[in-house]
Amino acid sequence: MKKYWSVFKISFVQEFVYKANFIMWRVRNVFQIFIVFFLWDSIFADPGRELFGYNRAQILTYVFGIIVVKAFVLSARAVDVAGEIADGRLTNYLLKPIGYFKYWLTRDLSSKALNFAFATVEVGILYFILRPPLFLQVSPIYVFAFLVAVALAILIFFHLLFITGLVPFWYPEAAWGAQFLFVWVFTEFLSGATFPLDILPIAIQKGLYLTPFPYLVFFPIQVYLGKLGAIEIVKGLGIMAAWIVFLRFTTNWLWHKGLRVYRAEGR
Amino acid sequence: MEKAVVISHLIKNFEVVEKKPGLVGSIKSFVSPTKKTIRALREISLSVDEGELVGFIGPNGAGKTTTLKILSGILYPQSGFVQVLGFTPWDRKPAYLKQISLVMGQKNQLWWDLPAIESFNLNKAIYEIKDSKYNQSLGELVKLLEVEKFLEVPVRRLSLGQRMRMELIAALLHKPKMVFLDEPTIGLDLVAQQKVRDFIVDYNRRHQATILLTSHNMEDLVGIAKRIIIIDQGKILFDGELADIVSQHATDKIIKVTFSKNVNIASLENIGKIKSLRLPQVELVVPRATAAVAASEILQNFPVSDLTIEEESIESIIRDVFKTGVIKKTKLKKTV
Amino acid sequence: MKKFMYYLRVWGIMSKNSFLMVASQKMVFLIFLIGKLIRFGLFAVFLIFLLKGSQSLAGYTVNQIIFFFLTFNLIDIIAQFLFREVYRFRPQIISGSFDLTLARPTNALFRSLMGGADIIDLVTIPPIIFAMVYVGAALNPSIIHVSLFIILLVNGFLIATAFHIAVLALGIITLEIDHTIMIYRDLVNMGRFPVDIYREPLRGILTYLIPVGLMVTVPAKALMGLASARGVILSFGVVAAAVFLSLKFWKLALRKYTSASS
Repeated sequence: MKKYWSVFKISFVQEFVYKANFIMWRVRNVFQIFIVFFLWDSIFADPGRELFGYNRAQILTYVFGIIVVKAFVLSARAVDVAGEIADGRLTNYLLKPIGYFKYWLTRDLSSKALNFAFATVEVGILYFILRPPLFLQVSPIYVFAFLVAVALAILIFFHLLFITGLVPFWYPEAAWGAQFLFVWVFTEFLSGATFPLDILPIAIQKGLYLTPFPYLVFFPIQVYLGKLGAIEIVKGLGIMAAWIVFLRFTTNWLWHKGLRVYRAEGR
Repeated sequence: MEKAVVISHLIKNFEVVEKKPGLVGSIKSFVSPTKKTIRALREISLSVDEGELVGFIGPNGAGKTTTLKILSGILYPQSGFVQVLGFTPWDRKPAYLKQISLVMGQKNQLWWDLPAIESFNLNKAIYEIKDSKYNQSLGELVKLLEVEKFLEVPVRRLSLGQRMRMELIAALLHKPKMVFLDEPTIGLDLVAQQKVRDFIVDYNRRHQATILLTSHNMEDLVGIAKRIIIIDQGKILFDGELADIVSQHATDKIIKVTFSKNVNIASLENIGKIKSLRLPQVELVVPRATAAVAASEILQNFPVSDLTIEEESIESIIRDVFKTGVIKKTKLKKTV
Repeated sequence: MKKFMYYLRVWGIMSKNSFLMVASQKMVFLIFLIGKLIRFGLFAVFLIFLLKGSQSLAGYTVNQIIFFFLTFNLIDIIAQFLFREVYRFRPQIISGSFDLTLARPTNALFRSLMGGADIIDLVTIPPIIFAMVYVGAALNPSIIHVSLFIILLVNGFLIATAFHIAVLALGIITLEIDHTIMIYRDLVNMGRFPVDIYREPLRGILTYLIPVGLMVTVPAKALMGLASARGVILSFGVVAAAVFLSLKFWKLALRKYTSASS
């Protein structure tokens, strides 16, 4: 346990070493939010307007929710796994008495802690600048359910990243591509990190719910906004848990298969 | 004879931001970075004749690479006068760049995922080499460096030695008059090192190209460069022929004796300083002038089974130069 | 002219090389192509459903909004096609390979900017142009408006070029940053929609300071016959200033360049 605490700390420090990078990454998040915010701000220019089941306060809260949930769920260091396997750096870890999976989970959590700290400040500043009407969830049960949903979402996303990170065992040159396609492109849109998914027709939404993506950002924010009933929330959390178990097994299975074909190639 | 390189009172400083360890340190150096000036070159002056092959030697960070980078136009100096082939390097005029070439040990200009021949073709366009000259040049280099078989293999699949030879071809296709080689043998195995060295000497002879070569390893330069320049902490400690430095700094010789019976070590100390003692073998350091006398004295008074007189190793001479920092002024006697 | 032919030839060979590189990895090529198409498609789908629900955006019709979106994509993708090498610049600086670029007679800016044209983006250009013609025709522009659109589009592309040069220069000065090009992308992404949707002062910033508006919104507006004479003149002024400043910045950065290792 102690060694993972060290990993947590060193990972935290490392983000500071590349501070310019880190700040840039945060700035990017803010820019991305600007686009979404003003898009909705413009659509809901009339304060009385209701569209797609949102009023002005709810939709703008959704936008702010994206910042917070993204900082928790989608900021992850485990993107480097693919590169490490592709260029053979993985070997360094295999020689050490440390679990590779736990190592990256720890680094991820470390990164999330830092990102969350920054996201909080950003939300504060953005709120001050933009002065949007925000929806405050007062029911502790909903807030608690929201936090659980975020925690589960973190685990789902970590596994998705890790699984695509294992692709280079078989196709070292596809290290980047696999992740780009399966994680980033799909996550960007299908998780609700760009648009709330309820602007889509019901049939498509139902289809999306068969994938893990809506649970990453959209579902937690829906819980927070109080748009879901108790049964829907419990059902949703249950499906998330099921996804985690499934992805956990898949990860393990692929990892062990991958190690057998690992060529420890390096540049 | 024309001077290929003239450097006079060249100064180059770098500014670096110091990083402190730990989380608190990182935040500190983020808030108020402390800058430090590194004096990479402190008033260097030298000149090189056309067709000369000069070796730069010095430990890491001595200023060798910085010098080469200034000469090839990559870095701007703080002050000083530099002229190469009649050009000021950092103007980076195409006419100048077409006549020089820079090869750096571990950096590559070759396209990693493609066969080397594709990179050569690109250089043909970049340096505007005529077809006939290109074919002749490529043929010659490929043959000399024995890489016919690897031309169509993606660079990433080549061994380091093979890749280095390809780098050399890419750098020499346009027949540069001036070649800068920065640690060209670094990381190579002994056989590959020898191949590269032989090639450099051969190339220098064939094309009368002026070559400046750096290394942190003295043995690299023995048998290649007649003239060497020893540089440390941005200053030139020695500039002259390899033979001169040996005669100036190698004031001692080493006598290696193997005894057939036990001997009185104390009485040996009257003859010379004991450098190592692994009985029955002893190494003695004696002044160069009296080495012969000392040897005969040992042979007469002790039961010797074997005795040799050796020069100090070049590495240890250089180490001596660095340690004492003594610069023995040598006027360069130039013979054409 | 001779110089132009020289650079054209060098560019041709470098582009051929990067195409060969992509071709040697068919799977990577396919994955990225599919990824880009999906991203484009998904955004379009969302946009269409969004507009279906809201009817209009900042006073523009659905067709107009889609035309803004396509204009954005065209400039963005052409820039990515030509300037892909900018994304690989940081490793060059860090490893010191940039030294070798500098020591060669081809202009270092040219090499760093255009040294690795991206065939994946090239493939996606024709469909976008096709879609633009299709959507644009429905807007019934006059010949004058179309020609103005094309001229302003070139202006927009020059602004994008200036941005890329500035990113390279920044990359030299601050070794640590590898996100600058992504910041540029994020900023430019604001041009997916007409800048009219943004509130002041952001709208002003996007028009004058970070001229995304001039890059995308003004050309598209010209086609719709909505561009003002002021906007057109401004576009030319800003283009000249942006290109001039970015080149100055590059020269400055080059002077400051000190190699990563010595």
